[in-house]
Amino acid sequence: MKKRNYISGLMGATLLSVGLSTVPALSADITITMAAPDWPPTRFMKEHFDQTYTSPDGHTTTLEMDFIPWPSFYERVAASLTSGEQKYQMIVTDSQWLGAFVEGGYYMDLTDKINADPELTAIMQDLHPALVSSYSTYPHRTRAQLEEAGVVPAPGVSYYGFPQFPDTYVTFYRNDVFCNEGEMAAFEAKYGTNLPCSYEDWQDTDWTKWGQIGEFFKRKKGEMLAGEVLDDDFYGIAYQAGKGYDFSSMQINAFVWQQGGDIWDESKAPTAQAEGVVNSDVAVKAFEEYLSLLQYMPPVAKTGQMDIFVEQDLFMQGKVGAIIDWVGLGEPVLDPSASKVHDKAAFGPAPGSRQADGSIDRTGNIGGQPFVLTTWNDDAVVDEALNVVKWWLSPDTQLEAVANGGQSGLKSVMADPGYNELRPWNRAHVEMIDWQKDVWHVPEFFELLTQQQEEFDKAITGQITAKEALDSIAAFQQELLEDVDLIQN
Amino acid sequence: MTDHTGTRRGFGAWLMDPKRRGALLVTPAIVILFVMNIFPLLWSFGLSFFNYKATSQRVPTFKGLSNYEKVLTDERTWERFQTTALIVSSSVILQLIVGFLLALLFAKAFPMRRIVLMLVLTPMMLSFVSVGVFFKLFYEPTFGIVSYVLNFFTTEHFVMLATPAGAIAGIVIADAWMWSPFVMLLVLAGLVSVPKYLYEAAEVDRASKWRTFWTITFPYIKSLLLLAVLFRTIETFKLFDIVYIITEGGPGSATETIAVFLYRNAFQFFKTSHSSALAYIVLFIVIVLTNLYLYSVNRRAEEVD
Repeated sequence: MKKRNYISGLMGATLLSVGLSTVPALSADITITMAAPDWPPTRFMKEHFDQTYTSPDGHTTTLEMDFIPWPSFYERVAASLTSGEQKYQMIVTDSQWLGAFVEGGYYMDLTDKINADPELTAIMQDLHPALVSSYSTYPHRTRAQLEEAGVVPAPGVSYYGFPQFPDTYVTFYRNDVFCNEGEMAAFEAKYGTNLPCSYEDWQDTDWTKWGQIGEFFKRKKGEMLAGEVLDDDFYGIAYQAGKGYDFSSMQINAFVWQQGGDIWDESKAPTAQAEGVVNSDVAVKAFEEYLSLLQYMPPVAKTGQMDIFVEQDLFMQGKVGAIIDWVGLGEPVLDPSASKVHDKAAFGPAPGSRQADGSIDRTGNIGGQPFVLTTWNDDAVVDEALNVVKWWLSPDTQLEAVANGGQSGLKSVMADPGYNELRPWNRAHVEMIDWQKDVWHVPEFFELLTQQQEEFDKAITGQITAKEALDSIAAFQQELLEDVDLIQN
Repeated sequence: MTDHTGTRRGFGAWLMDPKRRGALLVTPAIVILFVMNIFPLLWSFGLSFFNYKATSQRVPTFKGLSNYEKVLTDERTWERFQTTALIVSSSVILQLIVGFLLALLFAKAFPMRRIVLMLVLTPMMLSFVSVGVFFKLFYEPTFGIVSYVLNFFTTEHFVMLATPAGAIAGIVIADAWMWSPFVMLLVLAGLVSVPKYLYEAAEVDRASKWRTFWTITFPYIKSLLLLAVLFRTIETFKLFDIVYIITEGGPGSATETIAVFLYRNAFQFFKTSHSSALAYIVLFIVIVLTNLYLYSVNRRAEEVD
């Protein structure tokens, strides 16, 4: 009898526990504090969350966004993490910071969560592979390595982040200037080729034509432009050439990759070398081509201060005909209260290097940011944070985000028939995202970047040659990476 | 508790006893000083002997003086010290000249002197960040006011920050613009303290202007000038904000001062121990300069006595 009671008690307990596991978790008040750069894509996320988010687990969830200005974003996040205050449950992070903060024990490995949750697995499978490679994997796995694995998530790979805002750089141009019949005829007469006006024309624009545009439109005050007398100097082209953060590396890497050169390849560590790769003849030639085009840009380019905001500002003031800048900076260009060219701006893919077969290689540096979870969250917060991830990366939310100046990295959303019409740069974004690669994710990222930016800046300001800059960068990287065993001879 | 009359006193009265009041009043300041300054100072001094990185989970190991050795043998450290020395010397000299000339101007009475004096003093009341942003925009070659004005005389835009010399000049001008009024105030204090009868006597003796300045005015302002030099040297030695905003240390590393270099090591590369060692070397230099400053203050006090 006693035995029977014991068995029925055990069965009862088992049934109860099984039953409990199938009902939703107990509802709770959960606050997720997220470190976020202060700009429209994160502002929209907060606004939209407050309006639409309902926790599937029945929690009352608050998303507290700590909006931090871009210039101090890295320092503020890094200071918070290293101080041990454990303020943030989620962080919008540059992909390059993954190494430093994963190794520091701050960013949570989400691989098991993704593997265990079919919804998250489906999201990872729907994300563009360039984004999964750049935003999520550490140690870094290239897109080719992930695709070779054949399954998502790939075995043996650790995943950390999901796209908050996947950014690419595209061409912003003034169609009143580029589609002016007189200018088009004069350009064709001078160079024997067409001045790009339509999206399709920009698809066929390489760096040679970009230089011709720069030369053609460099006009002095008092000269004519598209039938009007200029009241100030005008410039045809601009791209990033700034000393701060990564404001020249992002463009210079594109030149190097497109021409067949490379940066130090962390996915092949520790056998990949910096010496001989970073300063290869191909890389030097590519960097020289980048430098040669600066002469056609507004004079601030000579100071090494042409960052992504400066070129955007010059474009909005109507002083430059075409710039290459991030999609994330496109929205203010269309704002009549901020931009003189709001009704004249159009968008196309960024130029690239013409290959032997006539095609154009547009390989570029991925922009934008993933968001990650931190390691000190308890299970309830982790689960709810992942619910927020699923909400953000759901097609409905993504389409809303895109319509409000954000971007999507989901293949299904980018394939939506109405997607290209949501914002004028969407077509270019879809075309460009396929070309994206990322720089290093190792903990030494900031040291590598700062020294590289300094040497690039010396070359941009004419203090040293392209070769001297790349030789110095290669030697520095070789020594630093050997010191931390990321390069072994 | 009882006082000498045998009546009981409250805790408040005991606390506010004149014997304890002084200690009580300074205690909060000492606690804050300890928590905010002395403890971090000692902690970072300890860290400078380890190989600690704030972003790493590795347990720090003791490295002795190796961080100091690395800092002092690093070519980049010496380059940054040279840059700092160049900026400090140029800026302080310019501040002295401008401040001195302004003081000579304001030592005399003229219409609207007070209002003009207030306007001249305004720059030193602004924040470093505001001054940095102002001058960055002033120097902007496409629409900045400097290039715009010079464009009347030349056909080309003036690109001030494109060369190391131009960028250093840009920073020196911004710093001098901000702090020359401070030098002026000190010198002005010296000028107005010169007894008028000395000038009258010099006039009777038909002394030249130079002789009057050298034998009467200069001795009165000498110590104050020295004070200005030392104070401004110490402050400019730590110059960070203006440099970071106007040039970010560029072109290349041509304007990267030791303070910017230290910041990069500590808060961008998170080489915590390495940067602590560098910070202590900088602190040592500042302490030497401060002692010189205190010495000159004391000398001035003795002269006044």
